[in-house]
Amino acid sequence: MTDAAFSALASLADPSLLVMLAVGVVAGLVIGLIPGLGGTGAVAILLPVTFGMEPEQALAMLIGALAVVHTSDTVAAVLLGAPGSASASVTMLDGYSMARQGQAKRALSLAFLSSMAGGLIGAVGLTVAIPLARPLVLSFGSPELFMLTILGVSLAAVLSRGNVVKGLTAGFLGLLLGLVGTSPTTAEERFSFGSLFLSDGVSLVAVALGIFGLAEIASRVGQRRVTERPVELTGGWGSGIREWLTHWTQVVRGALIGIWAGVLPGVGATAGTWLAYGQAVATAKDKRKFGKGDPRGIVGPESANNSVEAGDLIPTFLFGIPGGVPSAMLLGMLLTYGIQPGPAIVTEHLDLMYLIIWAFAIASVVGAFLCFMATPSLAKLTKVPFAVLGPGLLVVMLLGAYQEGGQLGDLWVMVVLGVVGFFLKATGMPRAPFLIGFVLAIPMERYYYLTTSLYDGAGWMARPGVLVFAALLVGPLLWALVKKVRGAYGAVDDGHRSELEELPGEDLEGSMAGTRWSFTVALVAVLLFVGALWVSGSFSEEAQLMPRLVSFCGLVAAGTLLWQERRNARPRPPAAAEPEPLPSSGSTVVASRVDTAADPRVEARRRDLVIAGRTFAAMATFLVLVALGGYLAATLVFVPVFLLYAARARPRTAVVYTLVLGLVLLSLPSLLPVDLPMGWLQ
Amino acid sequence: MTQHVHDEDVVTTGDGPAPPAAEPDRPAPSPRVAGTIVACFTALAVGVSVLGGDLLNPPASTADGDYEGETVELMIPLAEGGGTDTWARFVSAELTEAVPGSPGLAPENDDGGEGILGTNHFMSSARTDGTEVLVSTASTVVPYLLDVPAVRYDFSQLRPILANGTGAVVYARTGAGVKGVEDLVDRDKPLVFGGIAATGLDLTTLLAFDLLDADIDSTFGFEGRGPVNLALQRGEVDIDYQTTSSYGPAVDPLVEDGTAVPLFSLGQVDEGGEIVRDPNFPEIPTVVEVHEKLYGEQPDADALATYRSILALTYTYQKALWVPEETPDEAVELLRSTAEELGADPAFQKSAAEVLGGYPIDASPDLAERIGEAYRVDDDVREDVLELLESDYDITID
Repeated sequence: MTDAAFSALASLADPSLLVMLAVGVVAGLVIGLIPGLGGTGAVAILLPVTFGMEPEQALAMLIGALAVVHTSDTVAAVLLGAPGSASASVTMLDGYSMARQGQAKRALSLAFLSSMAGGLIGAVGLTVAIPLARPLVLSFGSPELFMLTILGVSLAAVLSRGNVVKGLTAGFLGLLLGLVGTSPTTAEERFSFGSLFLSDGVSLVAVALGIFGLAEIASRVGQRRVTERPVELTGGWGSGIREWLTHWTQVVRGALIGIWAGVLPGVGATAGTWLAYGQAVATAKDKRKFGKGDPRGIVGPESANNSVEAGDLIPTFLFGIPGGVPSAMLLGMLLTYGIQPGPAIVTEHLDLMYLIIWAFAIASVVGAFLCFMATPSLAKLTKVPFAVLGPGLLVVMLLGAYQEGGQLGDLWVMVVLGVVGFFLKATGMPRAPFLIGFVLAIPMERYYYLTTSLYDGAGWMARPGVLVFAALLVGPLLWALVKKVRGAYGAVDDGHRSELEELPGEDLEGSMAGTRWSFTVALVAVLLFVGALWVSGSFSEEAQLMPRLVSFCGLVAAGTLLWQERRNARPRPPAAAEPEPLPSSGSTVVASRVDTAADPRVEARRRDLVIAGRTFAAMATFLVLVALGGYLAATLVFVPVFLLYAARARPRTAVVYTLVLGLVLLSLPSLLPVDLPMGWLQ
Repeated sequence: MTQHVHDEDVVTTGDGPAPPAAEPDRPAPSPRVAGTIVACFTALAVGVSVLGGDLLNPPASTADGDYEGETVELMIPLAEGGGTDTWARFVSAELTEAVPGSPGLAPENDDGGEGILGTNHFMSSARTDGTEVLVSTASTVVPYLLDVPAVRYDFSQLRPILANGTGAVVYARTGAGVKGVEDLVDRDKPLVFGGIAATGLDLTTLLAFDLLDADIDSTFGFEGRGPVNLALQRGEVDIDYQTTSSYGPAVDPLVEDGTAVPLFSLGQVDEGGEIVRDPNFPEIPTVVEVHEKLYGEQPDADALATYRSILALTYTYQKALWVPEETPDEAVELLRSTAEELGADPAFQKSAAEVLGGYPIDASPDLAERIGEAYRVDDDVREDVLELLESDYDITID
C-alpha cells in the first residue's frame, strides 16, 4: 500500500498535474467566496473543462476545488453574516460575532488555519478509514441515522444563543418548512397547495441566504458609517498562529468528528459540523462566550467542515452513494472514464485513490494558506459601510440562489424568508436551528419511516448505536437538571444564554425580545403549527405521520413560548411610549413617525423596523424589475437608485459601482456556470 | 417600447424618496444629478433588455447541413450529478463533437417536480431550429404514462434523436432464506423489498413481482438504489434490484461470498416485441422464464402485455434525446445520422462502455417509429397499472 501511496505522490510532481491542481484550488476559492454557489458551482464549472483530460488530471482539478470550497465560504459567513451552506452557518455563530467586535482578522485566521488542519487530518483519515469504512457504514442502519438527525437538530436548538424554548420553536419551524414538497415515502405532495413549484420543496440556498443573508442586509443597511470598533490584532501572523495552536485539541476533535460524520451517507455532512460545535460547547468549562465570539466555536466546526468533505468521499467511492451534489458529479466524471465506484475501487484503482488523498491534502494546505495570506485585505471589507455593500451583496446573493433551481420563485421565497429571518433575529430566536431543521427534515422523516416499517415494534430502540445517541441527547439535559437542583443555577452552566445583558449598541440581535413583537412572533408560530396540523389531516396515513408529529411538538414549544411571552401582550407601563397599536403582521410596516421623547430603545426599534421595511420593499421592487427586464437591466436601475437615495453615496461612486457590477454580470455567464434570470421583455 | 420605459421609471421612483434623515450625514444628492444618473442607467437597461437579446442570439442556421457556429442547448430536467445527468452530458458532448461544424454545448439543469417542470418548460418554449435538445428518462416518462395532471408534455409531439436502454437484475439476501426463485412464492413471511417510490423506475420491478405473484412486502422511501443495497447487506431488506451499470460493483461481490443470490432479470424487449434475455446477463433467466418454471405456463396474456409495455418504456428506451416536432427535417436527420455513426464507432463504444452500461446507442432510421409505438400506451395498460398501484400500494393519481 505504501508503494502506491508514494508512487501517487511522485506522480503529483508531474507539472501538468500540479497545474491542474492549482487551477482547481483557485477556482474553488473564488467560487466559495460567492455565497450560494458552493461545491456544486465549483464542480459544475470545472467538469466541462475536464472532458478530454486524463482521469488523473481531471481528478486533481476537481478534488483541488472541492477541498477548498469550504475554506473560502467562511469569508461571507464571517464578514457578512451570509452563510451559503448549512455548515457555514455554524462558523457564523461565533465568527460573525467576533468580526462585529472588530476582530474579523482574528476570526478569519483561526478559521483558515483550522480549515487547513481539518483538510490534512481529513486526508489522513481518508487513508485510514478505507479499510474500516465498510463495517462502519454497515453498522449504521436506519435507526442510527434517524437518531443522528434528531441529534443534529436538538444540538442546534439547545446550543444556539437564546433560550431553549425559542431554539426548539425555531427548529420545529425549520422542520416544517423542510417538509414542504413531495413526501419521501409516499411521493405525495404536502403543503404545496397545488403548486408544482412548491412540490419540489424550498431551495436550500434560498433558505440559508434568505434567513441569514437578506435579514442581515435589512438590519444593517441603515448603517451608513462603519460602527465596528476597529480592533487591530497586533503581532501579525505569529500571534494568530500561536492563538490557534492553543486550541489544537479542538481542531483535532473537530476533524475526527467530521470524518466520522462524513462517512455516514445522507445526513453526515450537515449534522457533522453541529456535532463538532456541540462537543466544543459540551467540553468547555466556561461556556459563557459561545455565540459571542468564542474562538473555540470557530476552530472545531471549521476544521470539521473540511474533513467532512474528505469523509464524504468514502461512501462516494466505495458504495457509489454521494453525500451531495458535488460528490455526485465527481462520481459521474469517474464513470465517464470507465471507473466504477464500489468496494473494488480500492484494489483496482488504488493509485487513483492515493492521488485523491494527496491532492486533497495539498489543496487544503495551499488553499488555506492563500486565504490566510489574504486575511488582512479580506478583513478590510468590514470597513466598507454596509449601506454601500448592501446592493451589490443583494445582487450577488440573489444570483447565487437563482442558480440552484433556475426559478424566479426561489428569489421570492428568499425575500419572504428574509423577512422571517429579520423577525427571528430581532426577537432573539436563534436561526441556526431553523436552518438545520430545514435541512434534516426529509432525512429525519425518511429514516424514521424506514425504521418503523423495517423493524418490528420498539426493538430498534435497544440497538447499541441508538442507545449511545440517546445518551448523548439526554445526558446534557439531565446534567443541567442535576445542577439546577443542586442550586448551581446560572453560576457555571447556561451562562452563555444571557442574551439581554449584552451591551446595547446598534446590534439588532434580540433588540425586540420581550416586546409585543416577540409575542407576535410566538403567536404566528402557534398559528402556523395549528394550520399545519389541520392541513396535514388531509394527507395519507403514512405521509401525515411526520408533519403531525412536527406540528404537534412545535405547537407545544410555541405554546410554551407564547405563555412565556404573555406579559408582553399588552404594553407595559414603563414602555407606554408606544401610542397607537402597531399592525400585528410583520410585512406591512407603517412608517409612523411619532416624535416623542420616548425611550431611546423604542425609538431605535422603530427606526430599525422602518429601514427593514423599506429594504424589503426595495428587494421586492428589484424582483419585479427582474421579472420585467431581466437581471442585468434590473441591476442597472436598482443599484444606482439604492446607492444614491438610500446609501447616500457620492454620484461618482454610484456610477462606477453600477458600471462595474453591470460588467461583472455581463461577463459572469461566460466565466462561471451562471445563468442570469431572463425578464418578460427579453 | 416607450411604454416600458415609463413602467420602469414609475417603479423605481416609487421606491425613491430618501429615507428619513435621522442622523447627520452626507446630504441627499441633488435631484438633478441623481435623476440624470438614474435616467441614463434606465435607458441603458432598456437597451440591454430589449436589444441585447437579439444581438447576442442571431437566428440559427441548422438546416444547411452543418452546425457551424451554433450552440446546442441541452435541457436536463434533473439535478446535476445523477445518472441521467452523467449520461446526458457524456453522450451530448460526444455527439456535438461529431456533428459537422462542431457546435458548442450548453447543458442546463432545470430540475423541478422530478423532471416534470423542466420537460414542461421545454415543451412550451424550446426553439424549433434543432439547437435545443431534451433528455428524457424513466422519471419523466412514467408520470407521462400515468397521466399525472402536472404533465404538460407529450412525447408524440417530440422527435427522438437517439435512445439508450438499460437492464436490471433482481437479487435477494440468502440470509432471508432465499436460495432460488422457488423461494419467492408460498412464504411464511413475505420478503421485504426496498424501494424509492412506486411511481418511478421501481414500477417495472413491482409489475414483475405482480406477474410472478411473489410474496413481497414493499417499503418505499429509500434515497436511492445504493442505500437499498446497503440496507440489504445490513439485513434491513431482503430483496432488491440493481440496474446493469451498478450490478457489477454492488452485487457481484455479494453473490461471490454467498450473501446474495441473483433471481431474475427484467429482460429486454427485442425488435419483434418479445421479452428476451438481457444481453448483459445471458446466464440469468427473465421474469417470463421464471414464471414458466414456477407455474409451468406463460403468464396471463394481458398482464404480460402490460409488463412488456412498461418494460419497453422504462428500460429498453429508458433514456433518449428529443427535439421539438417543428424542427426542420434536415437538422433532425443530421443529428440522428451522426448519432448512428457515433454509436457504431468502436472508439466511442470503448470510451462509453461504462456510461452506456453495455447497451448500444440506438439511432437507426426507424427509431422514431419504434419509440413512437412503445410510447403509445394503450388505455387498458394504463388502467392495469393504476389499478395495481391503488390496490397493492394505496396510491391514487388524481
